[in-house]
Amino acid sequence: MVDDSDCPPHDQSHQTLVSSDSDSEGGIDKSEITCEDNSPGETESSGSDTSDEDENIPLFASEITEENNIDKDDNSSASRIKSRSKSHADEDFATWQRIIRVDAVRANDEWIAYSSTQALVSEMKAYQLAESVGLKEYDHLEPCRIYHAARLVAILEAYTLYDPEIGYCQGMSDLLSPIISVVEDDSEAFWCFAGFMKKARHNFRLDEVGIRRQLNIVSKIIKCKDSHLYRHLEELQAEDCFFVYRMVVVLFRRELSFEQTLCLWEVVWADQAAIRAGITKTSWGRMRLRAPPTDDLLLYAIAACVLQRRKLIIEMYSSMDEIMRECHSMAGRLDVWKLLDDAHGLVVNLHDKI
Amino acid sequence: MAAYRADDDYDYLFKLVLIGDSGVGKSNLLSRFTKNEFNLESKSTIGVEFATRSIRVDDKVVKAQIWDTAGQERYRAITSAYYRGAVGALLVYDVTRHITFENVERWLKELRDHTDSNIVIMLVGNKADLRHLRAVSTEEAKAFAEREKTYFMETSALESLNVENAFTEVLTQIYHVVSRKALEVGDDPAALPKGQTINVGKDDVSALKKIGCCSA
Repeated sequence: MVDDSDCPPHDQSHQTLVSSDSDSEGGIDKSEITCEDNSPGETESSGSDTSDEDENIPLFASEITEENNIDKDDNSSASRIKSRSKSHADEDFATWQRIIRVDAVRANDEWIAYSSTQALVSEMKAYQLAESVGLKEYDHLEPCRIYHAARLVAILEAYTLYDPEIGYCQGMSDLLSPIISVVEDDSEAFWCFAGFMKKARHNFRLDEVGIRRQLNIVSKIIKCKDSHLYRHLEELQAEDCFFVYRMVVVLFRRELSFEQTLCLWEVVWADQAAIRAGITKTSWGRMRLRAPPTDDLLLYAIAACVLQRRKLIIEMYSSMDEIMRECHSMAGRLDVWKLLDDAHGLVVNLHDKI
Repeated sequence: MAAYRADDDYDYLFKLVLIGDSGVGKSNLLSRFTKNEFNLESKSTIGVEFATRSIRVDDKVVKAQIWDTAGQERYRAITSAYYRGAVGALLVYDVTRHITFENVERWLKELRDHTDSNIVIMLVGNKADLRHLRAVSTEEAKAFAEREKTYFMETSALESLNVENAFTEVLTQIYHVVSRKALEVGDDPAALPKGQTINVGKDDVSALKKIGCCSA
């Protein structure tokens, strides 16, 4: 039995912390990474629950992360629980490295059609990068996918050092893959991801506070909108909405296509950016039929896709397992615009109650 | 291969869990067994997923509800909730990555902490097709399984090697225990009440089955 504690968390960092065009020798520690791009950007106040953690995480360049940098996170009392000390008690950097490599080589190839320059990357460049980040078992992949996987490794490893409380958790590669498809520069992609993760990281906390808070909101939306469906869920002891767990954790990435995912994420980010920019409910209302911007549009969308199946769930399903199977089989069957319309409809009706 | 049956047409329903480190091939073992599919790029499992398949054991239809769990430690709080009520487990490691075998001990503890002590456990060394990359010998794993009184088999989800055998063996063992137990009690065997009523005696599990073990 190997005790993970005998591998110091940072001891292998040197071989992987390289961007696509640099060859890095020697350990780059967290401070180096964070200074590099850390400009005195926005220092907007943090949500109460996150302020403590944010001490750990430097604020970063606003010009890159403005769209997706969420400082005003939830204020729910449950989120105040701290778990830093035990957050990765059993996982260290070496473990994360291993899992990151496993996940990187199985990233899918949907992005290729949307990024022609990266799709045409030379074999030599791909293999060089793969070698420099210590990618393994990639022989079955084409050069562009090797390149993609290697970029995933470099950025995800950098992130584990940047945010060691969360480190790497499976699902993060799903979140990063679309970003690096669009953003070709590694350092820019890193900061985009870091900004994205400011909100998303709570889903990966070991104490589950973030994910439970979000599932709770989905549950509340369903309860407010459809008491009949909610009662049925209660009867099945499924009112905790655990069946949408995956949708929350990877933000619909598994259910939607690459293009649909970008659409949904951008609409969600636009709402969050509007909130940060202080756009009021009234001014927004003129632009978009009374649906004010919300930090939780994603959760409304998740509730919407459950509500779209209310009849099936009430009439056909008699266990949480069946609902979970239905949710997991939505892949490729969702209309992202319908989903957003329904989500906005829910926001109009419920934003005061949730 | 046993015929696929309608979902609700079964004599017994057994819940199994698939556990083990990330990337050892749990999801592919499941899809190979339930759908006869294999995907080299299958994504990581977030939280839990499940699939079912019914097989025939003796003259009974046994339906397996198999829960596939995320391999990463981080998800363990969530996944372990799904161990409840499981009467069988396939604890999977990757024969090409020794660390995944070293972690088996931890998984075993996890399993024993969260399930009934009589659960039928099979240690599964997957990716046995990658002979040139093997890092865990059959002997080493077999010795471990003997020590821990679990069943053992090496499989390849890719080559469809032993996958059927591994699941069928676990289900058959559970079935034998349950039907014998039912006979003793004189109970209705069609109703499987709870995991704890199954008493897998020492004799049942200590004998290491050699069925289909592939050589190193």
